[in-house]
Amino acid sequence: MTIHRLFSVTTKYILLTGLSIMMFFPFLWMVISSIKTKEEIWQFPPVWWPGDPQWGNFSEAWNMAPFGQYIVNSVGTALVIVVIQLINSAMIAYAFTQFRFIGRNIMFGLILASYMLPVAATYVPSYVILADLKLLDSYEGIILSNAVSVFGIFLLRQGFLQVPKDVVDAAKIDGANHWRILWRIFLPLTLPSFIAFGLISFVQNYNNYLWPTLIIKSEDKMLITQGIQQFFIQEGGYGMQWPLIMAASTFVILPLLVLFLFAQKWFVSGISDQGVKG
Amino acid sequence: MATTIIHKEVQNKPAKSKKGLQSQLIPWVFALPAMIPLIVFWIYPMIRSFWISLTDWDYISPTYTIVGLDNYVSLLQSDSFYQVLWNTFYFSAGTVIPTVLGGLLLAMLLVKHSKGFGIFRTILFSPWVTPTVAVSIVWSWIFEPEAGLANWLLSIFQVEGLPWTSSQTWAMPAIIIVTVWKGLGWSMIFYLNALKKIPVSLYEAASVDGASHFKKFLHISIPLVSPTTFFLIVVSTVEALQAYDQIQVMTQGGPAGSTRTLLYMYYQFAFEEFNMGKATALATVLVVITVILSLIQFVLAKKWVHYQ
Repeated sequence: MTIHRLFSVTTKYILLTGLSIMMFFPFLWMVISSIKTKEEIWQFPPVWWPGDPQWGNFSEAWNMAPFGQYIVNSVGTALVIVVIQLINSAMIAYAFTQFRFIGRNIMFGLILASYMLPVAATYVPSYVILADLKLLDSYEGIILSNAVSVFGIFLLRQGFLQVPKDVVDAAKIDGANHWRILWRIFLPLTLPSFIAFGLISFVQNYNNYLWPTLIIKSEDKMLITQGIQQFFIQEGGYGMQWPLIMAASTFVILPLLVLFLFAQKWFVSGISDQGVKG
Repeated sequence: MATTIIHKEVQNKPAKSKKGLQSQLIPWVFALPAMIPLIVFWIYPMIRSFWISLTDWDYISPTYTIVGLDNYVSLLQSDSFYQVLWNTFYFSAGTVIPTVLGGLLLAMLLVKHSKGFGIFRTILFSPWVTPTVAVSIVWSWIFEPEAGLANWLLSIFQVEGLPWTSSQTWAMPAIIIVTVWKGLGWSMIFYLNALKKIPVSLYEAASVDGASHFKKFLHISIPLVSPTTFFLIVVSTVEALQAYDQIQVMTQGGPAGSTRTLLYMYYQFAFEEFNMGKATALATVLVVITVILSLIQFVLAKKWVHYQ
């Protein structure tokens, strides 16, 4: 290793360490702020570590709103959505890659068009449709309106294109029908695409805010993103309880960071393979 | 023998035509579970949205009148529309340029793998998975004017603290910072992928010719990742046009409308004022901008971009 190269590697480490600390600091600051007392939080320059960490702030915040219920609601709807999207994306990806049929190009064109169009433009009519179906303020409304993922269709189609044709032919000779071929052959062979898409879609649905806010109105049905925002507004009213707000943010954000830590490989592969929107 | 063969053929005939019908039916059965919700909640609403934009519907009353292009005309004649358009442009340019450029620089730093780089990649990418609503709350605390971290950071450099989200000048930069922070790692992942695909032989050949690091970057890396660059610019612009969560949490479009974007105005028209005609007219503007961007990407990708 030449001196020049050693220098450049060291510079890189220093730069990357600095940048990583900067990028991660908001999360650390959130946790540190959540265990401060009401007096400490307002000190300037800031206190880097509280004298007497108020770990009780977490349970206090937890009991101030039904956060457990909110999280269950969010995880539940997100899981149902993911399962539906995995099934119907796999089925249509199978149709696109294994059949030539009337309407195939039109269908593909419609999917392609939806990929780039802004979802927000559908909100008013979709809201009206859900109202007509009497599905406002219900999980069914959220689930149905999110029942399809264009990203998932593209990602699985990409994976299915890699499945060798002779594997499919061999299965057909053995008398397997298409339904069986899809779930017994394509699913195991392209499992990484399924996992990557499932995880990304789960996170996107768990994080979704605007659309669920329009649909869900009753408190006990709220999703966690709505719940935390409402808590933020309420606590903001009483002279800003920042430690409690930060404690609540911690239990909304932390589970996702832990999930990401264990599953980051799948997130990265899902994104590099196809391209997810923001 | 002969009779059995004939017998078989006779038996096969209806089976065959049934198979022909089946071969058309099966793909549809496989496609419909995705196509039905796509049509009901994407395609049809897009068309219906345009139709509503030609009416004065207020959501509550069952009747409405067709007003033609009145909603569009009144939008184009209102000053607030141009302010919103400018805010949207400001926000989009302010987030897309640093996100794309920053992502490229981070990827350049990380692409030649050394020990421990996996950790850096994980950390830099981690904000992307977190809910925008929750992290915007955390950032509201960081931007708190009296005791926030941002103003402490400024105080180190002897800069006076800023009012951030309560000021018309600084509210937008605050929202831009949050958005860039969240999206940087995402564009970095795309660039890492693109940079890894560049053949090492190209760099080696350039080194033999005596090219500097900077020249190699400028003449090899930049052109070869340009498809990724175009893709990222368009996708993150479309994303920026739809930003809502961070604005709702941090400023609610204020102060004095200084952070109100197209989408935020759409939300206000539709779900606060129930002026569905005006709201959907804005949606049309949003769609038109998106379509233009996608077309530009399509054309430019064909003309300039270096594909391998």
